[in-house]
Amino acid sequence: MLKKRKKNGINFNLALLIILIVIIATIAIANPVFISFDYMMSVVVKNILEIGLLALPVTIIIITAGIDLSVGSIMILSCIAGGLAAKAGGSFLGVVVTLAVGVICGLVNGVIIAKLRISALVTTLATMYLFRGIAKGITAGDSVYSYDFATTMGTTDIGGIPLGLFFYIGLAIVFVLLLHKTAFGVSLYGIGLNPNAAKYSGIKVDKVLISIYAISGAMCALASFFYLGRFTSVKYDVANSLNMKVVTVIIMGGTSILGGIGDMRGTIISTFILAGLNSGLTVLNIPVDMQTVIQGVVLIIALIVYAVVIERAKKNRLIDVSKEKDKEVSANSAE
Amino acid sequence: MKRKKSTESYLLLFLILLLVMLGIFASDFYSINNLMSTLNYFSYLLIGAIGMNLIIITSNIDVSAGAIVSVVSIAIAFVGKTGVPIYVFLPVGMVVGMVLSLANGLLITKLRIPAMVATLATTQLFNGILPLLVEGSIYDLPASYTALAFKAKLFGIIPASLVMAVVITIIAMLFMKYSRFSKKLYALGNNMQAARLNGINIDKVVIISYVIAGALYAVEATIIATAGQRVTTTMGNGFEMMMIAAVLLGGTSIAGGSGHIYGTVMGALILSIITPAMNYVGLSSDWSDAVIGVIIILAVVVSELSKVSRTKKSVDKAGEVKENA
Repeated sequence: MLKKRKKNGINFNLALLIILIVIIATIAIANPVFISFDYMMSVVVKNILEIGLLALPVTIIIITAGIDLSVGSIMILSCIAGGLAAKAGGSFLGVVVTLAVGVICGLVNGVIIAKLRISALVTTLATMYLFRGIAKGITAGDSVYSYDFATTMGTTDIGGIPLGLFFYIGLAIVFVLLLHKTAFGVSLYGIGLNPNAAKYSGIKVDKVLISIYAISGAMCALASFFYLGRFTSVKYDVANSLNMKVVTVIIMGGTSILGGIGDMRGTIISTFILAGLNSGLTVLNIPVDMQTVIQGVVLIIALIVYAVVIERAKKNRLIDVSKEKDKEVSANSAE
Repeated sequence: MKRKKSTESYLLLFLILLLVMLGIFASDFYSINNLMSTLNYFSYLLIGAIGMNLIIITSNIDVSAGAIVSVVSIAIAFVGKTGVPIYVFLPVGMVVGMVLSLANGLLITKLRIPAMVATLATTQLFNGILPLLVEGSIYDLPASYTALAFKAKLFGIIPASLVMAVVITIIAMLFMKYSRFSKKLYALGNNMQAARLNGINIDKVVIISYVIAGALYAVEATIIATAGQRVTTTMGNGFEMMMIAAVLLGGTSIAGGSGHIYGTVMGALILSIITPAMNYVGLSSDWSDAVIGVIIILAVVVSELSKVSRTKKSVDKAGEVKENA
């Protein structure tokens, strides 16, 4: 994928990085508080921690031409189940239950999608209801409160840098390596481009799919610790638009919703773009609703740019082929 | 008649079973009040879902439907506040709905942005723009504004929304059965390239399907927004998932090219019965979302499995082994 992009003469990640720098610079000039270390760490980073953590696994899911709309629901369900377990049996039980619930939810998605061959969109749409519905059912609408472990995860700072950021950076590196440096990563692109071809070239498509949805579930569980720790109490109906925000970040990062094309680094950079935009607009005293509009506009511009660029790249390729043919023909006639 | 059992027939069976069980175990469910409020919810869910169905048949999707409902609700409240009757503000709402939906259609066809992503982006736009125009809600609406919900009743009891839903459903059924346009919808959903090569103007068909859906969302929004004298900016938010769920439950494949209006009717009816039914059976309605999730999964799995067994049988008959991917 990467080679192909360079051939087209466009480096998406570089473009994204430039956009990020422009945004940060613009906001910083307008209000210098923005680039102070404290503000960066307390507002900018925390703003996108959960979105960032969830965008990592969902990127690889979208690369396989799937989608996971249930991430927000899984996060809340594991959050709530863990909180209830911790109340009943201590922090350790809470952690175990949180992780178990996350992975099980992911497995449920994966098995339905891979084994029953239901489209990912439909499956995760239904499980989005199901998981949030279970969260609503077991709490009967009440809030669940944070416990020791979650509080530690959500509120600890090391040298002024929130603990979550270390987790995010570490996992981001792991996911970049996983996607771009391993056979597993290559197989993901293969599945996204052509699942049948991938299958006949020896990739265990079902296994790969089930495992990435399970990974997604596990990441939701991890994110839920930070979420619960930060907000101290969680109700079933919070973080409703999280799944859409996650998808937005990934699309902005240049991953194609149709699968087979995508870059983890793009997702990571665009996560920071969203963070910069969100908190930057807050610094500039622009109302929250305007921020939503700006996000929407940015997403649409990104989509249009991608559409135009991809179309042009396709045309270039066609012209190249015809030119090469002409050359061959002229070479032949010269002989 | 040796027709294979379709998804719709299973649904009908399930629905009848559900209604009979309710009659036996919770006859309170059939009290006039509950029945009418359930039917009112069913009506506006169905009207929106019919629009969504057209879109999903063309193998597209619209996740901005809820946001469009919100925008239209505010638009009609804005117009309705001046005291004009429904004959004025409904058409205004429909124009707004059609324009917003047209924007979706143009993004999808002219810029070739996948429907899921395009409508996701416009959802944020619509949701974000509303609170900028209106401070939270429009309230103190005149009595003429809520006439649809309170005064307009057939035989003094049947809500006007139900009448509207029935009329729209009948028109939609006739349209899907007899119009040439509906054949194009199915052709497009089944195989876009083949449809294009057969001379169908794909872009036009997709855009028209979105515009029709936009008009239907506006009707839905009118019913939702005239239910009280206060209209908030988030009235339709999240409702798109309910509409998509009704369509999928009704046997329309998300891959496009299949699906019937009567399936959607049953899908919408089941979804609107679940929550009140659980109340009357004595289960906490807190579990209704979970139950809806399970029902959607089961419905989709059953229809998928029956499809697989059908293709397997036809393959066996042909005497050739084909890997079913």
